Amino acid sequence: MILELTCALLITAAALLYVFYLPGRLYLGPEKTRASYLRERKDAVYENLRDLNFEYKAGKVPDADYHSLKSSLEDEAAALLAEIARLEDAAAPRKTRA
Amino acid sequence: MAVIGDFALLLALALSVYSFAAGLLALLSAEDSGWARVGETARRAGIVVFGAVLLAAIALVASAFRDDFSIAYIFHHSNRDLPGPYKFAVLWSGQEGSLLFWALLLSGYGFVLRLRYKTDPRLFAYASVILAAVQVFFLSLVYFAANPFGLIEGPLRADGSGLNPLLQYPEMVIHPPMLYLGYVGFTIPFAFALGALIMKYPGEKWIHITRRWTMVTWGFLTCGIFLGSHWAYSVLGWGGYWGWDPVENASLMPWLVGTAFLHSVMMQEKRGMLKVWNMWLVFATFWLAILGTFLTRSGIISSVHAFAQSSIGTWFAWFLAVSFAVFVFFFVKNKSGLRSEHKLEALVSRESSFLFNNLLFLLLTLDVLWGTWFPKISELVQGNKVTVGAPFYNRVAIPVALLLLLLTAVGPLLAWRKTSFESVKRNFLWPTIGALVVALFVMFTPAGWGSIFGLKPWHDISYFYSLMTIFLSALVTFTVASEFYRGGRVISEKTGQGMFASMVQLTHRNTRRYGGYIVHFGVVLAMIGFSGAALNQEKEMEMGYGDHMQISNYDLVCRSYTQDDNPNQASEWALIDVYQGGQKIGTMTPQRLFYKASQQASTKPDIRQTFKEDLYLVYEGQNDKGQPVIKAHVNPMVIWIWIGAWVIVLGTGLALVEPAPVPVTVRVPRMVERAAPVAGD
Repeated sequence: MILELTCALLITAAALLYVFYLPGRLYLGPEKTRASYLRERKDAVYENLRDLNFEYKAGKVPDADYHSLKSSLEDEAAALLAEIARLEDAAAPRKTRA
Repeated sequence: MAVIGDFALLLALALSVYSFAAGLLALLSAEDSGWARVGETARRAGIVVFGAVLLAAIALVASAFRDDFSIAYIFHHSNRDLPGPYKFAVLWSGQEGSLLFWALLLSGYGFVLRLRYKTDPRLFAYASVILAAVQVFFLSLVYFAANPFGLIEGPLRADGSGLNPLLQYPEMVIHPPMLYLGYVGFTIPFAFALGALIMKYPGEKWIHITRRWTMVTWGFLTCGIFLGSHWAYSVLGWGGYWGWDPVENASLMPWLVGTAFLHSVMMQEKRGMLKVWNMWLVFATFWLAILGTFLTRSGIISSVHAFAQSSIGTWFAWFLAVSFAVFVFFFVKNKSGLRSEHKLEALVSRESSFLFNNLLFLLLTLDVLWGTWFPKISELVQGNKVTVGAPFYNRVAIPVALLLLLLTAVGPLLAWRKTSFESVKRNFLWPTIGALVVALFVMFTPAGWGSIFGLKPWHDISYFYSLMTIFLSALVTFTVASEFYRGGRVISEKTGQGMFASMVQLTHRNTRRYGGYIVHFGVVLAMIGFSGAALNQEKEMEMGYGDHMQISNYDLVCRSYTQDDNPNQASEWALIDVYQGGQKIGTMTPQRLFYKASQQASTKPDIRQTFKEDLYLVYEGQNDKGQPVIKAHVNPMVIWIWIGAWVIVLGTGLALVEPAPVPVTVRVPRMVERAAPVAGD
């Protein structure tokens, strides 16, 4: 029983040490912003464009469908890129001032 | 060992409570940087929980190996002569141990999640707190209501009661861990989903993070379900692999909804659609996994597999109610953050095929849910329990499965957004002609070629279903093959590689899609196996020495009966010679076993498996007249179910492989000036 209690105490001490002893700085990661969200969306639209191009080359998508779908995806990408650019331009002077 | 195990459980519970409370306070006080350190201690406490629960599990397994019958759980589920692997399996063989095992797997998943927090610390902090809340529930349950370290009352016994004979089978050593890894694993996508909902997480990155978790979990659950079916087929001796038992249904329901989620989540990733729907699917999958556990643990619904009736059902009922209330509260509060970015543009499109796929999966889930709960509902309404059987489930499940098979063939060939008639014609003409040729070949080939040939759909509805399964399976196979061929051809033309090497490269470039196609092909194989059930035959008769039994084109001759004995079990074997076309093709030995410690009898069927059919013999023991009775089944195509399962596992594994980067890039015209290059082929 004494052996078991000693083990229990040692395990508890080790656990508490690991949990509460925090040397150094913590990693908090970047803040999620509208711009980072838009970049994710842009990646998704690019991925869709890649898939469409590949399916077109594989002969799965007829010409008319391909051009129409590609055009709408490009418009979507362009809108995302424009908003990202706007946000980056708006953020730049603040950074300069800082 | 009991003291160490009990202490480890208490430590794990205390740390889980701390991880939840401190993590929650840190999230609520996120503006104050001092609380970040508290949040970090919460994360670390969550990590240590795994170590503590692992220690408790080791203590229980060690107690089984040490034959420590002072622990009631070990006394009831083990004995001295139990073979080693089954002593290891004692951990999940009873109520208390399996709940501890559940807690272990949950903390294991939590351990990995908390180590990977740098991917997105804030989202992971939310997920960690939600996971800690679930851990608090399970560890409280294990510690206070189903403690596996409880000591036995009265004098110490020399030997234990032994493990349930039905569990003394090699697959039982891996089936429950697989199933539990699947059940428990769905907590992770749920924790991320609820976390994203609570913090109004912008975008779909949480789905990207959880995709791999979901696929791994789905893979485990799929393995668990197929292993369970194989165990039922190989051990229970009734000649079938799926009996629509409530416990089987309990594992099927989260699998169905989880499969729906795996498909619909692609719409959210690709098009920013179905955000509300996906949130509910994730929650429903988690909730149904817990509901399944509630079903098997509470004794509320009778099942041959269920654990004994116990009081822990109340705990689960409360947990189900609280988790539902919490989810609904945050959904109502934050649903404005789940607006879709696009609408469904056309009825014939990839999106609509996913939507129909989801509706069919949900319809099937509701059918299974209704059938599973019907005995309880009928008891509450009418006062008497009415149990529904296979015909009730099959009436919905078979047509829905066929429609799902159709969508499996059609979906991958439809374009996102909209698909023109020209595109449909281009993609489906040859696969459809090919599938029709296969179906007509099967229909008009003489039945003498094999059980599945010569099926005339107008003779019986089950023949119609079998033939439709074959037609749709061929359609899926041809569409999957055409996807590999067309993609391979593009790469082959570009790189000059051979077709096979190009297909390998194609798969490596988009492992998720082509791994998914392999999963679809595995489903096709399994469906072909299921379709054979319409042609099953069975026969039972007394068989003395030299007696014959005719079934299908087999002639079974009873050669003799023999006995064997070891410290764990006594067995009696029938020796049956099998003849086909006058030629002896083998001897089969179905057994009847008697386990000494538990004083329970069990059968062990002998199965002669070929690609065409299984000959399945059961020695049922002696009848009232003292005559040995043999039951024979001929089950066509069953092996394809198990081959299909392996292919599904292979495809899932492939889908988890990191895709290779696309080497070639082209510029997309008409983009704004800053447009980055887009890989084209």
